[in-house]
Amino acid sequence: MRKISYAFLPFFAFTFLLSCSKESGTVAPPVPVSTGVFVMNQGNYGANNTTITYYDFNTGAPSTDFFRTTNGFGLGDTGSDFIIYGGKMYVVMNVSGYVAVTNSVSAVFIDTISFKNGTLNRGPENIVASGSKVFVSSTDGTVAVIDTASLTIEKFISVGSNPAQMAVSGDKLFVSNTGGFSASFDSTLSVIDLHTLSETEKITVGINPGCIAADEDNNLFIACTGDYASAGPRLVKLDLSTKTVTLSIDSAYQTIRYYNHTLLTTGGYLGAPKVNVLNTSDLLAARPSFVTDGTAIQNPYGLDIDPVTGDVYVGDAKDFVATGEVICFDKTGLKKFSFSSSPGVSPYKTQIIIR
Amino acid sequence: MLKPVKVTAELKQNPFTTITPVQKFNRDAILQTNAETIAGVAKYFSGVLIKDYGGVGGLKTISVRSLGGLNTGLVYDGITIADAQTGQVDLSRYSSVFVQTLELDQANPSQILNPARVYASASILSFTSSSFRPAFINQEKWITGINAGSFGFWQPYAGISMPVGKKMSLSVNGEATWSQGDYPYLIENGMFSQKTTRTNSDLKSFQGELNTLNIFNDSSTLQVKGWAYFSERGLPGSVIYFNDVSAQRLKDGDFFIQGRYRKAFSGRTTLLASAKYSSFYSRYTDPNFLNNAGGLDDQYTQNEIYGSGALSHGIGNHLIISFASDLAYTTLNSNIPHFAEPRRLSLWNNLTVRFNDSHWQVSAALLNTQIHDQTQTNAGTNANKFTPSLALGYKTNAGSPVLLRAFYKEIFRMPTFNDLYYTYNTNINPKLNPEYSSQFDLGLTFTKNLDSRVRQIQFSVDGYFNKIKDKIIAVPTQNLFIWTMKNIGKVQILGVDLNAEAAGRFSQQTRWSVRLAYTGQQALDKTDPASPLYNNKIPYTPDHSGSGLATIYHNNWSAGYSILFSSSRYVLGENNPENEMSGWNTQDIFLSRQFDMRKIRSVIRLECNNVFDERYDVIRYYPMPGRSFKISITINNI
Repeated sequence: MRKISYAFLPFFAFTFLLSCSKESGTVAPPVPVSTGVFVMNQGNYGANNTTITYYDFNTGAPSTDFFRTTNGFGLGDTGSDFIIYGGKMYVVMNVSGYVAVTNSVSAVFIDTISFKNGTLNRGPENIVASGSKVFVSSTDGTVAVIDTASLTIEKFISVGSNPAQMAVSGDKLFVSNTGGFSASFDSTLSVIDLHTLSETEKITVGINPGCIAADEDNNLFIACTGDYASAGPRLVKLDLSTKTVTLSIDSAYQTIRYYNHTLLTTGGYLGAPKVNVLNTSDLLAARPSFVTDGTAIQNPYGLDIDPVTGDVYVGDAKDFVATGEVICFDKTGLKKFSFSSSPGVSPYKTQIIIR
Repeated sequence: MLKPVKVTAELKQNPFTTITPVQKFNRDAILQTNAETIAGVAKYFSGVLIKDYGGVGGLKTISVRSLGGLNTGLVYDGITIADAQTGQVDLSRYSSVFVQTLELDQANPSQILNPARVYASASILSFTSSSFRPAFINQEKWITGINAGSFGFWQPYAGISMPVGKKMSLSVNGEATWSQGDYPYLIENGMFSQKTTRTNSDLKSFQGELNTLNIFNDSSTLQVKGWAYFSERGLPGSVIYFNDVSAQRLKDGDFFIQGRYRKAFSGRTTLLASAKYSSFYSRYTDPNFLNNAGGLDDQYTQNEIYGSGALSHGIGNHLIISFASDLAYTTLNSNIPHFAEPRRLSLWNNLTVRFNDSHWQVSAALLNTQIHDQTQTNAGTNANKFTPSLALGYKTNAGSPVLLRAFYKEIFRMPTFNDLYYTYNTNINPKLNPEYSSQFDLGLTFTKNLDSRVRQIQFSVDGYFNKIKDKIIAVPTQNLFIWTMKNIGKVQILGVDLNAEAAGRFSQQTRWSVRLAYTGQQALDKTDPASPLYNNKIPYTPDHSGSGLATIYHNNWSAGYSILFSSSRYVLGENNPENEMSGWNTQDIFLSRQFDMRKIRSVIRLECNNVFDERYDVIRYYPMPGRSFKISITINNI
């Protein structure tokens, strides 16, 4: 999280930002995990209310606050990303300053990986996996290389300013440098060679680069948010063989995900709050909305695609204060099912449980 | 030799006999609360929630009848202290050491002759300093003392008041406060639970005042006050699991000079002229903020120049009318890049008419408020509104102990500079409107003096209904860093305030006093019937809250007990068990002994606060101190 961490400081009057996931009176015993999804609900800044919801495909019911009921403690504050990889689940806690590691099926806690530099929180943000490592970008300008066997940080790679999102393409890792905490935004991607585990170059793509998606044809797509003033948001297509931007359109998208020659996106700053499906050839909408049956989504925030079935999970954050909802659509945009993320606020990411 | 003068101003009334609810703490009652600042005293009023962020240096703001902190005006010696940036004043800056009275008035001030700005809030919290007491103009009085307590608390102070010539008195007082604020608290998080202490919670502050009082030959008076406050404190922030480090610091330098001139003319006319210049500087630093500049260093300076002219005039035996006109020019500057540098010109005009006879008291007021904002970047917002109020009181006959009362008031609060022009939130909504409240009250008071062991008993019960529309709420957008301020909220509040006071004597040497306050309320979100938040209780509005004070005096000794309690409340708009915070209560005791030696009086006082070591948060994740102790020694001349 970028400026949000400062932006709220003078907003003392807005006490709805503060909440606590204190132990409630009666808590249901954890449901054994069979098949389904985990959803990470981000919560609010300063509220220690990041939660995990488990949704069971067989029962069609969500288990609330699954991490806490399984492990007896709360994750902490402002989870910003999570993945399931290699039999483990990694939850990146941006404001609490650590990564929680659990078993990827039972969600039983294994260990914490601290992201403190001395006493200073590095602000871990985003996580991707490749080979035997997972990579976590941090607001302090580093990408941590974590070995999945030892669960220790082996190396910090210095990148640009306030890196956020990442994507792997081929044998390279690409990191968006937002510069979002500073007076002026950054506009580059850092390129990390996955063999040498070091930054080899920076490529300029657009002001305030955010979410990155990679296709199978050596292209990257980057949603750039602009500077909220004169420089507007744009979506760019970067050809990695020539390292040049081949397409650039004025559009506001937040999260972008690649699937089968299309990009699925949520609306970003100044963008309409809907889920879009774009052609990767021209970055234009393949149809007016991804959703084809008129299902209403108040604020699509999370967006994840099951690579096997093509099902799309949309986390509807509603007003970012009340509990959210996750809606599952098939790849043609028809709703399959939905569930409440209660008590979770702002469902941000869904991961399929692989048995 | 002073000329004789006809008294045409109103007598200060007993709070239980006013037609709009008034609660008041005099100096003796302020001491009974063991409170270091006016925030601690205000916790004992009914209808009040003090949002306390913990410790001596923690932010404390007031919300009266759930209208929110921006709807209460703060008045010091008759002149408003305001913060146009956040809209609410941090009450922890106003020490109780030299405060003479603290009063909470619902709707309108109980005294008719006041600047128009005092009429411009839903409620008024006013306090007075000990210095302006015409009765003591010819006497020299001095006082000094020191308070020391748990968690590294030290507070020395001194004050002197002396006559200068025959018509003037000058008083100076100052105090310094040091507090380490390292109180223990508990983090409850399963296997990661731990007992720890609050860090970066220290405070150093100095406060000083200079007051002059002049009484002229025509009995008119001029009061001038210069006030300064400097502080440096750590901001510990909310408790974040796994990350309890904060390096945020706040420095403040505040100063104002104000004057009030009051003159009674023959023919029952009184003039009150007031003026003030204030400058508030604050500097917020966070070396851990991960930007390119090595951290945050935000500095703000808010300046205001203010003037007011008010006249009251008595007509016949039953009517008084008063007209007041105020002007203020407020500016805010900052070193933050692209700062809007707002300038606000405010004009208030208020007309009040009061009627009373042996049965009825009626007070009607009409306030006009005009606001004109200008900024660096583009034109600011403007407003021009008329808001009325009406209060009624009825007694069956003049000697009746029962007074029936009712009031109605419309008021609005202007969006603050932060609401409108806050730089880090670049999605500015230039169409942000003021927030409107309607207040209704119906109540009765009972006052009786008896001759038995119970010398005096008084109580009041007031039912109230408040409606807020166009409530200003921060709404997140797709991008969580960018929030928009919108007028989308609607709230309805239904409640009852109960107050009771009794005092008496057990014997010649022993007397007692008891004071109780209780508020029952329900504040519901009425914004959007389709939303899951509809009819949910808004955050931090407990159903039940209250306070009690009991003190006994025997010869040179006095001892007291006090209690504050709150029932459970929700911390977010959605009322689910996850968002519910349990209720709490704290109990304090004190013991004090007075020694008189010739012309010097010394008082030693011991306090134990939160006797049962209750661990609680008022605002979730801002822990409050557990049990603490304090010793005070005061010496003054008599």
